[in-house]
Amino acid sequence: MTDATLNSPKTGSRLNRSPSLAKGFNFVRFKKITEVGIKSIYSHGLRSLLTVLGIVIGVAAVIAMLAVSEGASYEAQQQFRDLGASNILVKSVKPAEVEESSRSGFGPPQAIVYGLTTADITTIRNSIPGINNVIASRIVKKNVWNGGLNINTDVVGTSVDYPVSRNYNLRAGRFFSESEMRDHGNVVVLGDEVAQALFPIDNPLGKTIRIDSDYYNIVGIMESEGFSNLGQNQAGSSNSAPSRIFIPFTSSKSRFGETTTRQTAGGVESETVELHEAIIQVEGQDGVIEVGEIIDQILQRRHKDIDYAIEVPLALLRQAEESALRDQIVAGAIAGISLLVGGIGIMNIMLASVTERTREIGIRRALGAKRKDIIMQFLIEAVILSGVGGLIGVVLGIAIPFIISAFWGMTTIVTPLAPILAFSISALIGVIFGIYPSIRAADMDPVEALRHE
Amino acid sequence: MLETVSSENADSDVTAIRGQDIVASLDDIRKTYYMGALSVEVLHGISLDFYQGDYISIMGPSGCGKSTLMNILGCLDQPTEGKYFLGDQDTSKMEDDELSSIRGARLGFIFQSYNLIQQLNVLENIEMPLFYQGYSEADSHEIAMGLAARVGLDDRVDHKPFELSGGQQQRVAIARALAVDPLIILADEPTGNLDSKSGAEILNLFDELHDQGKTLIMVTHSDEMAERSQRLVRLRDGLVESDDRRNA
Repeated sequence: MTDATLNSPKTGSRLNRSPSLAKGFNFVRFKKITEVGIKSIYSHGLRSLLTVLGIVIGVAAVIAMLAVSEGASYEAQQQFRDLGASNILVKSVKPAEVEESSRSGFGPPQAIVYGLTTADITTIRNSIPGINNVIASRIVKKNVWNGGLNINTDVVGTSVDYPVSRNYNLRAGRFFSESEMRDHGNVVVLGDEVAQALFPIDNPLGKTIRIDSDYYNIVGIMESEGFSNLGQNQAGSSNSAPSRIFIPFTSSKSRFGETTTRQTAGGVESETVELHEAIIQVEGQDGVIEVGEIIDQILQRRHKDIDYAIEVPLALLRQAEESALRDQIVAGAIAGISLLVGGIGIMNIMLASVTERTREIGIRRALGAKRKDIIMQFLIEAVILSGVGGLIGVVLGIAIPFIISAFWGMTTIVTPLAPILAFSISALIGVIFGIYPSIRAADMDPVEALRHE
Repeated sequence: MLETVSSENADSDVTAIRGQDIVASLDDIRKTYYMGALSVEVLHGISLDFYQGDYISIMGPSGCGKSTLMNILGCLDQPTEGKYFLGDQDTSKMEDDELSSIRGARLGFIFQSYNLIQQLNVLENIEMPLFYQGYSEADSHEIAMGLAARVGLDDRVDHKPFELSGGQQQRVAIARALAVDPLIILADEPTGNLDSKSGAEILNLFDELHDQGKTLIMVTHSDEMAERSQRLVRLRDGLVESDDRRNA
């Protein structure tokens, strides 16, 4: 009622115009206030830039940290996934005590006997239901020759299912067959690195390599990637795929024998290991972790020393996921603190701005601005400040992971959620930390404000 | 030339002479300031009526309550006791928002120190009261352009206040005060910061406004300026000392 009478003064409107009254939210009004806000921020360019720096850093940090930790956890999870989520790895590990006793002995070096045996595997197979397959391998370090070229590498004696069980694919040719397995065939599948080293120019397929005094036909070459670096230092077997070659399990046993010798710092060391590793494939993922525990119990009963190690990729995957979550919470907390600091910076500068513009507030109040108009004005300014800071932060936050990837080769993943979340938080901070200065501005007494120098 | 009458008689005289409407009316206005336990009454009961088209000067020594009276007339402050009618509305019991509305719609302010907003140009300064009244952009622009021309600054609408002389700034302020076509224009020592030439220009502009039927209330220290108005109200110690009307 008051508005209606106020806006048609009884002296009669000079231009016979009735103003379009602002009811609630009015876009034109909002636009105008925003323009004024931008102007006032722009007129204090450097100060405004320094003010938003906290928000810029906070937002950029949130996005970059999330991208890096997301990338790291993706990489870790990918490694475990490559091992096969329904697999259990059992490896032979040289026990520490045995190593001691062998060193202290006199005379010719005694062969150390340790590790997994075929009997272990049979027991595991017979006592646990739901095991689909067991791929047992012997790993012997040998010099492999092609004419004058040679490379020292792991020779893995394994079964035909090996590539399938480890998501490990052939690049060319084929893996050895069941019949070659039965016949103790002299066939070999090269890892990519070995193939490159021994056959730098020509195609190795169909050619032969020499190990000790035996020649082997090359039937296939594995892909370079797709293998896990997990447990590289265990069981004396480097797991890194490219520098391995694969022969039938039977051939390994008959050509290299049960006992292997190798040069060490102290002289020659012999060891007898029946199986170096076994991949136990379990039906489905549900029981994998429990089966792993049962295998541990069985092996504990059968072995005097702890000369084996059990890896359950799924359990490791879970752990990796948990630690990734922890990382993200820590990263989020750090970034959150910097956003909070940024918000306090904005509040600080808004308070300074309110004091500085006391007179302007008085003028606006005298010319008809209501309290809520003043609140709106300063709130919008705070939100513009933090919004601009947030925007710069988003750009930086997306750019930084790219730079990290380009220079350090780390996997980084910017999920669309991170920039949206970070930007929203920064805008919200503008509102939260803008409220108090705005209310202070609006609560000023117009008379006092007009008198302010 | 000046006819001295008591304020009550003056009211009836003017009504009789001019036959005009009362645009503002103060009825026994008292104002007390409280500072902790201490209270000081600055206005001790002021009653004045202002008529449509009047040109009034308010004079008085410093501390007589001029500023307080102007603040009350401008709805920037409220009386402790008494009633203040602006148009047909009693403002003495209004809420803050209503006071803002009435200031914006019915009053025009001209300050001694111009009080333009430095970040805004001439046009935007003139448009500001219209913005708070919710005028459309096109309407405010047209009105502001018209007023800029009227105060002779239509070639300076893009200038910022600091690019203008004091006299020009005060003319912007006058244009701004006219924007909403207010009931009363309140001027607080409008030439106080100006040299005599610019001051004279401003007073000429006031004369024009008066001729056009605007109601002007001006606080001044200068007798020369008061001479140009029709009615002179002298305050002393928070009371109306004299209320003289020039019959010319």
